[in-house]
Amino acid sequence: MTGRMEQEDAMSERNTRPHENRDGDAVTDRRGFLRLAGLGTLAGGAAVVTGGETVAGEPLEEGRAGGYRLTAHVRQAYDTARF
Amino acid sequence: MTATTARADVDGASGALAFASEEDALRARFYGLIANLLAAPPDAAMLAELAHLEGDESDLGRPLGTLAAAARETVPQAVAGEFHDLFIGVGRGELLPYASYYLTGFLNEKPLARLRGAMRALGIERGPSVKEPEDHIAAIFDMMAGLISGRFGQPAELATQKAFFTAHLADWGPYFFRDLEKASAARFYAPLGALGGTFIAIEQAAFGMVE
Repeated sequence: MTGRMEQEDAMSERNTRPHENRDGDAVTDRRGFLRLAGLGTLAGGAAVVTGGETVAGEPLEEGRAGGYRLTAHVRQAYDTARF
Repeated sequence: MTATTARADVDGASGALAFASEEDALRARFYGLIANLLAAPPDAAMLAELAHLEGDESDLGRPLGTLAAAARETVPQAVAGEFHDLFIGVGRGELLPYASYYLTGFLNEKPLARLRGAMRALGIERGPSVKEPEDHIAAIFDMMAGLISGRFGQPAELATQKAFFTAHLADWGPYFFRDLEKASAARFYAPLGALGGTFIAIEQAAFGMVE
């Protein structure tokens, strides 16, 4: 990330009236704000600790954090609709 | 740099998940990390992985670096003992990490009922191995991670994420993490308290930037 980009992110972060923006601008502001906050520090690895949040649609049956999952009847509805 | 790598990692590991954005994939990771460490003490493999994380001077990078340093200086047995003192104890632990307790002073009160209603609406249920009430901090973080990642069918709209966060986490999460940071039994978990509090504040501010 270049210094120039960070500067622009910081400027958009200081926009205190995002609702006056078009929706797209607000979303861009939000992403810039999140990047500046340091989300990237978890970018490289740590998959074991972050808990397999990468498993699409697979219920974490024995997930450490409890394995919260889609309810059976909703899953069936998704299956039926071929989501 | 890092962001692209993360996308590759995420997609490579699953082959299927399509996060709405780079930032969403990383948000899900933070929710997952914090959920996992609050659900059960980390084992040796998790501690080793944590020890390799590198912080930076960003708001999240600082507490993450401190947490990584704490992971390097401890052993699974010590963290397990700390977890017991904090959350289990004899009779009860030092902290009660439940929305209902923080919002009403009692367990299993209306905040839990409200959460269960939201879970029904979103089609989320507890796994069979879960014993704690759903309003445990780790469960709510796990649900946020799942909403973002699409574990519950498909990635939830940002508005849905915001509504869930606002209704079930924003009002009490900061107080819980403040307590965790200052808990007398907390060593490894003190920087997690700082990280969790910072992350919630950042999520709150970020949600405030969109409708």
